[in-house]
Amino acid sequence: MVQKSDFRRVDKYIWELPKSFRDDMRVPARLFGDAELFDAAFRDRTVEQLINTATLPGLVKYAMAMPDFHQGYGFPIGGVAAMRLDTGVISPGGVGYDINCGVRLLGTYLEQEEIAPYLRDLTAALYRACPSGVGGKGRVRVSGRELDALVTQGAKWALKRGLAQPGDLVHTEEGGCLPGADPSKVSARAKERGRPQVGSLGAGNHFIEIDVVDEIYDPQAAEVFGLWKGQVAVQIHCGSRGFGHQVCSDYVKRLQPVVEKYGIQLPDRELVCAPVDSPEGRDYYGAMACAVNYAFVNRQVLVMGVREAFEQVLAGKVKDFGVFQVYGVTHNIAKFEEHEVGGRRMKLCVHRKGATRAFPPGHPGVPEDYRDVGQPVLVPGSMGTASYVLVGAHKAMELTFGSTCHGAGRVMSRRKARKRVRGDELRRELEEQGIIIRAGSMKGLAEEAPAAYKDVSRVVEVVHGVGMARKVARLRPLAVIKG
Amino acid sequence: MNGRFEEIEHTADIAIRVCGRDLAELFANGAYGMACQLTDPGEVNQAHFDEPSRAVELSIELEAYDAETLLVAWLEELLYLGEREGCVFTDFDVLEVTPARLRAIVRGGPVREYWRHIKAVTFSDLEIVHTGAGYETTVVFDV
Repeated sequence: MVQKSDFRRVDKYIWELPKSFRDDMRVPARLFGDAELFDAAFRDRTVEQLINTATLPGLVKYAMAMPDFHQGYGFPIGGVAAMRLDTGVISPGGVGYDINCGVRLLGTYLEQEEIAPYLRDLTAALYRACPSGVGGKGRVRVSGRELDALVTQGAKWALKRGLAQPGDLVHTEEGGCLPGADPSKVSARAKERGRPQVGSLGAGNHFIEIDVVDEIYDPQAAEVFGLWKGQVAVQIHCGSRGFGHQVCSDYVKRLQPVVEKYGIQLPDRELVCAPVDSPEGRDYYGAMACAVNYAFVNRQVLVMGVREAFEQVLAGKVKDFGVFQVYGVTHNIAKFEEHEVGGRRMKLCVHRKGATRAFPPGHPGVPEDYRDVGQPVLVPGSMGTASYVLVGAHKAMELTFGSTCHGAGRVMSRRKARKRVRGDELRRELEEQGIIIRAGSMKGLAEEAPAAYKDVSRVVEVVHGVGMARKVARLRPLAVIKG
Repeated sequence: MNGRFEEIEHTADIAIRVCGRDLAELFANGAYGMACQLTDPGEVNQAHFDEPSRAVELSIELEAYDAETLLVAWLEELLYLGEREGCVFTDFDVLEVTPARLRAIVRGGPVREYWRHIKAVTFSDLEIVHTGAGYETTVVFDV
């Protein structure tokens, strides 16, 4: 059983477990966090899952967990692992079922006071315009042929269909389209599930939130991102719906016997993988890229739902009800990226599971108009608490393959949250704080109670302190729609 | 464990421990345990009684690489069929189950409120263990 004393404190916020700790570890494991967050890692199976991740073939440097880490399945949530392309593997379990779950941040030209009289109507309009809940059908229906084009072209498909503005694509990770998507590697069932759900929020921890920017930490970066104190903003958090879940499920099952074929030993079957450079690995990548693009389109269509709701409620009542995209990030993904390893540039397969890319100033992956300051990193807090806008910084390239945290991270099980919190009481409490809540299920709401999460500010302080990303702005919720 | 399954601690997702005197009972109890995460099965049964025309009955046949993969495939099949038919399955006749093959008839119905969505059935620490009293396993659902 792993103990805290098995770790060495490398830096104020970095804790390292040597690879000698367990025979099957191929690289050391690193946890990012302050002393309190580090302690929390031992209250569930985060550390064990991180050690398991460190056994995967072809890992470079470390298996890492960002400071919002918690127990997941296979990889811990907050997990970052980069593999060599020649000897390394790609793991569907290391990406997760909700492929390209991610966040969009939309800016407006409105002050909080301007929308205050219409906030309830706006929330109701958003709830109608952005379908949510279990099995919720999306805003757009597509044929089989259209779906193949959608998952190949991503947000470019949405632009052609009039479901995006050009600026939306520029301000999305990968421009809203991951290359290499191959619809022939996606099952008929995944396509069947995906067709009716384009432009739907789903349930669980997915949400749409109307926020106000209540603090600016970095005025220069904030200005570049179009953010200012008192401004109304919107966040959307969702993923690839049944399409992505099915792609992952299909490949986690399909690769079970493949592991044996390539002589890979795994401590947990959820870590199932295939060599990056193998027919099975390439097939998974082609299918995963389709799901990544599906999620880009899904959020894009919801962005249009937000625009529609703002126009419906605010047209003629405010000067400018326009909504622009600040940025869109992805959380659950495997990508080919170039990084410096031991003084040499290397192309790697970077897995981020519940982690966000955080490219620094000057990186070619950052949109041109943001390149002088760096890539926006969006860190939503738990319901009813603050969210943060950060900007990627150089230490992320040095320490974490250009990655950082993706949220607050849970600390309490859903079961405990349900026992401690009643959904209807929580809604009343939040409404007393002036936050409007719309939710599909009161049980679901209770499970997402703020008390079930870490303090997002603490997580962000670690990220800022390490220098992976710097604080730019803080958002405070005005209205929350939960699926 | 009292009854057919019990929910166990998991920080982010839902985990249940399931047991059965034989594989057929283990699979049926796993499916029931999953249904109980989605909704109140009593409500589905009541709906059957009130509105028999809306009841759904389907037969399922599956093949898989080994018993664990079969269990995942079985639970995923129920989630998929539930999504397609707009219902939750609460009653399971597992007619035949070997580590590589399953045949079953399942019954379910529409529900008023879903408590939550299950995205997928994971292989996380999944191992079907033979105990003195039969079989036991833990299943983690991604929610």
